[in-house]
Amino acid sequence: MAGAAALRRSARRIVRPLATATALSRTLQQPERLFSSQASPEHGPRGAMSGSELGLYTPELIRNFSIIAHVDHGKSTLADRLLELTGTIQKGHGQPQYLDKLQVERERGITVKAQTATMFYWHTSASHGPDTPRYLLNLIDTPGHVDFSYEVSRSLAACQGALLVVDAAQGVQAQTIANFYLAFESNLSIVPVINKIDQPTADPDNVKDQLKRLFDIDPSEALLTSAKTGKGLEQVLPAVIERIPSPPGKCDSPVRMLLLDSYFDEYKGVICHVAVVDGALHKGDKIASAATGRTYEVQDVGIMHPELTPTGVLYTGQVGYVISGMRSTKEARIGDTLHQAKITVEPLPGFKPAKHMVFSGLYPADGSDFEALSHAIEKLTCNDASVSVTKETSTALGMGFRKLNLGSFCSKVQVENPAALASNPGKRVVGCWEPTVIATIIIPSEYVGPVIMLCSERRGEQIEYTFIDAQRALLKYRLPLKEIIVDFYNELKGITSGYATFDYEDSEYQQSDLVKMDILLNGQPVDAMATIVHNQKAQRIGRELVEKLKKIIDRQMFEITIQAAIGSKVIARETLSAMRKNVLAKCYGGDITRKKKLLEKQKEGKKRMKRVGSVDIPQEAFHELLKSSGSK
Amino acid sequence: MLRSAFPLISHLPPKKSPPIHPRPPPVRQYATATTSHPFTPPPLPPSLPPASAYVHLPFCRKRCHYCDFPIVALGSSSPTPSPHGEGAEDPRITDYVRLLLREVAATCPVPDVDDGVPLETVFFGGGTSSLVPPRLVAVVLDALRGRFGLSQCPEVSIEMDPGTFDAARLRELIGAGVNRVSLGVQAFQEDLLQACGRAHGLREVHEAVEIVTACEGLQNWSMDLISSLPNQTEAMWEESLRCTVDARPTHISVYDLQIEQGTKFGQMYTPGVHPLPSDSESANLYKIASKRLSEAGYHHNEISSYCKPGYECKHNVTYWQNRSFYAFGLGSASYINSVRFSRPRRMKEYAEWVQNLENGTWSHESRNSDMKEMAMDVVMLSLRTAWGLDLRSFSKSFGKSLTLSLCNTFKPFLESGLVIVMDMQRQALSPGDFELDLQNKCDSGSRSAFIRLSDPDGFLLSNELISLAFGIISP
Ligand SMILES: Nc1nc2c(ncn2[C@@H]2O[C@H](COP(=O)(O)OP(=O)(O)OP(=O)(O)O)[C@@H](O)[C@H]2O)c(=O)[nH]1
Ligand SMILES: [Mg+2]
Repeated sequence: MAGAAALRRSARRIVRPLATATALSRTLQQPERLFSSQASPEHGPRGAMSGSELGLYTPELIRNFSIIAHVDHGKSTLADRLLELTGTIQKGHGQPQYLDKLQVERERGITVKAQTATMFYWHTSASHGPDTPRYLLNLIDTPGHVDFSYEVSRSLAACQGALLVVDAAQGVQAQTIANFYLAFESNLSIVPVINKIDQPTADPDNVKDQLKRLFDIDPSEALLTSAKTGKGLEQVLPAVIERIPSPPGKCDSPVRMLLLDSYFDEYKGVICHVAVVDGALHKGDKIASAATGRTYEVQDVGIMHPELTPTGVLYTGQVGYVISGMRSTKEARIGDTLHQAKITVEPLPGFKPAKHMVFSGLYPADGSDFEALSHAIEKLTCNDASVSVTKETSTALGMGFRKLNLGSFCSKVQVENPAALASNPGKRVVGCWEPTVIATIIIPSEYVGPVIMLCSERRGEQIEYTFIDAQRALLKYRLPLKEIIVDFYNELKGITSGYATFDYEDSEYQQSDLVKMDILLNGQPVDAMATIVHNQKAQRIGRELVEKLKKIIDRQMFEITIQAAIGSKVIARETLSAMRKNVLAKCYGGDITRKKKLLEKQKEGKKRMKRVGSVDIPQEAFHELLKSSGSK
Repeated sequence: MLRSAFPLISHLPPKKSPPIHPRPPPVRQYATATTSHPFTPPPLPPSLPPASAYVHLPFCRKRCHYCDFPIVALGSSSPTPSPHGEGAEDPRITDYVRLLLREVAATCPVPDVDDGVPLETVFFGGGTSSLVPPRLVAVVLDALRGRFGLSQCPEVSIEMDPGTFDAARLRELIGAGVNRVSLGVQAFQEDLLQACGRAHGLREVHEAVEIVTACEGLQNWSMDLISSLPNQTEAMWEESLRCTVDARPTHISVYDLQIEQGTKFGQMYTPGVHPLPSDSESANLYKIASKRLSEAGYHHNEISSYCKPGYECKHNVTYWQNRSFYAFGLGSASYINSVRFSRPRRMKEYAEWVQNLENGTWSHESRNSDMKEMAMDVVMLSLRTAWGLDLRSFSKSFGKSLTLSLCNTFKPFLESGLVIVMDMQRQALSPGDFELDLQNKCDSGSRSAFIRLSDPDGFLLSNELISLAFGIISP
C-alpha cells in the first residue's frame, strides 16, 4: 500500500538520470571567482562580502526574478549575458550556459535544475531621483523541458517577477504557455523578452501578436533581444528593476524563510538555498524547521555570486544559502519553512506540491548491487519533494524500486475497490479510476489531423482547439496518464516532423473501463509484465504482446507457452518450441580454451537474463512490453 | 642427458632419406583394452605428468572454406608432393620441422628428466599432416622419444587427407612408428567436397580408404565426417554414413559444421539460413548419425566421437580427462603444470617465441590453478563424454555443496530426458529416485554416481547445459 500512499501524496514528479546523483554533489566545485572590479569594487576582499554591505540592500533595492521559456529558447544564454553584464562572471571565461553545472546539463545542453545567482547592478530610476543606486538582483535560471517544470514552480515561489523568453522565430510554444500560466497564477510580474532576433527567420511582430492573443500582453511591453549578439540586452535589467516589485517581507519580524533547494556537498555537508521572506538571518542564529521541528545553528550563510560567497547574514527579501549542520538532505524538505527557533510562526504557503508525473521502476541488473542503488537513489532523491520512492520486489527483476509507477496505479484501484482486484484478481472491476492529464499541444496547422488522430487513439478527449496565429494551432486534450507515459511524446514528434511542442499538467482521476492483464510464461504470471489496459484494447494488446514476446524470448531447452490473460481467461497465446540444438564445436587439438570462452560467454548471457520459473527472459523484453502496452 | 634431436636435421642433406631407426613393433594389442564398459574412464586429477604430445603440422594444399586453423597453404607453387614421399621437399616444410625440433629440444620434460613418464600418445594433427614427408615425421617422433621417452606401445596417430599419400607412403609412416590414422574424408559427395574447397575429390576418397584398409599393420584408423554442410540433404548424409560404415574404420568423428568468422563460409553463409540447414534440420542429421552408427556397432563415446569397443582415441581421452599434455608447433595448445598455453598462430611470431624459449626468456609457468576454473574444465570435458561426470570424485575435489548444486540444477532436465543420472553400476536412476537421493543429502546413502547428457538430445544441447553448470560453479 506504500504505493497508494505515495499516490495520494501524488505530485508532479521529475525523473533525473541516476548519473546526476554524483553530479549533484559536485555542483559546487568552487573555482575562486574574481570579483569583477567594475561590478562590485566596494565588496570587501574577494571571496567574501561583509554583512554590513549586504545590509545596504533594503527590499526596495532587491529584485528576485526567474527566467522562464520553452526549451531552448535561450534562457541560460540570456542568463550568461546578464551575469557578464553585471560583472558577476567574466566575459569569455567559463563555459557557455554557465549555470548549467550538472553533467547531464553539460552533455545535453539543456537545463535540468534551476540555478540561482546574485548580481549587483547600478541603475538610475525615477524613484531615486538623480542617484544611481546599486541594486541586488537574484536571477533564477529554470529548465524549459516539460519533465522538469516542477523546478519552475519552485523557482517562482522565490520571485516577484519573471522574464518570459520567447524565440523570435519559433514563437510561443507549449512550455511558453505552461510557464506563463505558472507565473501568472503566482501573481508575478511578467517581462516578455523576444529573443534570438538575430535569426534570419525571426518574426518578432508575429510573436508580439501571439503574446497579445494568448496572454493579453501589450506588444509595447516586449523587449527584443539577441543573447547571441548582445542586441537589446541593455533594456533587460532596467525593465526588471522598473517593472518587477521588490520583495514584500517584513524587515523587523523574526526570521522566516522558504527552503528552495538543498543538496549535499562532500566538504560542507547539506547546503540549503533559501529565500528570506521576513527578518534577517545571521551566522550563529538558531533556526527551526516548520516541517520537522528540529533546530539547527547557522554555521555559514551567504549568497550565490554565482559561487557560494559567505556574507554572515541575509536580509529580508534576499536569496542565498545556509549551512546549518543538517546531516542529510532528508532533513531539508524543499518547500519547508525555516524560522527563528523557539517561536511559532505561520508556515509559508510553500508552493504547488510536486506531482508525480513520470514513473520509473529501477532495478539493479545485478541483484547484489541493490544496496549501492538504494544509496544512490537516496542521495539523488531525498532532497526532492517531487520524487517518491517505494521499495519493491519483483519475481522477475529482483529487489528494486518502483518509483510510483503503474504498480501503484493498481494499488489505487484496489484502495477504491477493496473487494475488486485484490480479492478477485483479474475480475473486471466496475468503477476503475485512472489519473488523467491535460495536455497542451502546439503544432503547425497542417499537422492537426494526425495529432487529433493520435490523441483519440490514446483515448483523449478534446477540450480546446484554437489557432494562435495564421500557421499554428493549439490543441488541449484530457488524456489518461497511462497513455502518455510511454512514447507519446516521441510519436507526437514523429508525426509532426518534430514541430509539435507539448506540455501537460495532471488532472483528476476519471472513471474508465480498465482491466489488469497478466502475462504468463508456462503458466506462471510475470508480475513485472502485468499491465492495466483499457478493456476494449485488451484483446489486441494481448495478442501483440505475446507475439512480441515470442520474438524476443530465445528458444530454451523446453517448450514455452506465452499467454496474456485477464483473470483466468486467456486472451492470447503463443508457443515457443524447444531449442533443438546448440553449437557442437569440437575441442580442437586439445585447445579447450576457445570452447570454454564460448561457454562462459553463454553463461554471462544467461546471467543478464531474468529468470521467471525456469524461463530466462532478456531484459529488453520488459522494455518492449512497457512500450507496447503503454502506447496502444 | 639425452641429446637434442636438433642437430640431426640441421645437418641432413636435403634429399636423402634419414636412416630408419629400429622401433618397437607397430602393432598394438587392442584386445586388452576391451572391457565390458567401453567408456572413457572418469577424469583424473591433473597433477599427473604429461604422457601425451600433440604435434601441429600446419601444411595444406589450400585452405578449406570452413577452416580457421593456423595452417600454411602451400598452394600450387609448391612442388607437388609425390605420393611416394620422394622428390623435392618444400623448404617451408623442412624449415618448419627444424623449428619444431628446436621447440622440442627447448621444452623441459615435466616434472623433470628422470621422473618423467614416457609418452603414451602422440598425435600429429594439422593442417594436413600427411603432406609432411614420412621421414620428417620420423625425425620428429625420434626427437620426442629422445626428449621424453616413448612407452612400450604408444598410440601414435596422424591425420591424413585423401590424395596426399599412397600405400608406400603410408607404409613408411607405419615403419616410422605411426600406428593410427585419422582420414579426413568429410563427405562422400563430389559436389559437397568441392563446395567445401577440399583439395581432393571422391575418387581420392575411395582410393585412400582402399589404401588404409589394405595396409598391413594398421588396425586402428578413424574417419572424419562433417554434417550440416551447405546443401547437404538428409539422403546425402545417410549415404555418407553408409559408406563410412562400409569402410569399417575403428573410429569415426562426426563434426557439425561451425561457421567461423573470417572463413570463406563465414562470408558466404549465415548459420541456420539456407543453404545451411536450420537448427532443427541440423539436429536431425546429428540424430541420424547417432542412430546409424550405433546400429553399426559404434559406441557414441563423446559428442563427436564414435568408436568400436576398445578403439577409443587414447590421445583424445587425455583431453577429456583433463590430463596434462605437451604440444608443439604453430598455434598448438599445451596443458602443463595446470597451465593452458596456446602458441602463436603466425609463423613469424611462433619462430620468435621458440627463440625466446631457447633463450630462457620464456618458460612454461607453473601455478596453482584456480579451483573454479578447474571445476569448469572438468564439467565441460566430462559432460561431453558418454562416461559423464563422476559425482563422487567431483565432490571430493570440489566439495559436496557444489556437487549438490549441480545436481539440483540438472534435476529438471532429468525429467525432460536431456540428462541421465547413474549409480555405480551405471544403471540409470529415475527422476523420483534422484529426487530422493538429493533430499537424502548424505554421501553414504547416495546412489547417484554419474551424471551424463543423453544421446542424442542432451548432447545436442550440451552448450546450454554446460553453461548452466558454469553459472553454478562461477556465478
Ligand atoms: N541565434 C541565436 N541563438 C541563441 C540565442 N540565444 C540562445 N541561442 C542558442 O540557442 C540554444 C539554446 O540556448 P540555451 O540558453 O541553452 O536555451 P535554454 O532556454 O536555457 O534551454 P533549456 O534550459 O534546455 O530549456 C543554444 O545553442 C544557444 O547558443 C540568440 O539570441 N540567438
Ligand atoms: Mg537552460
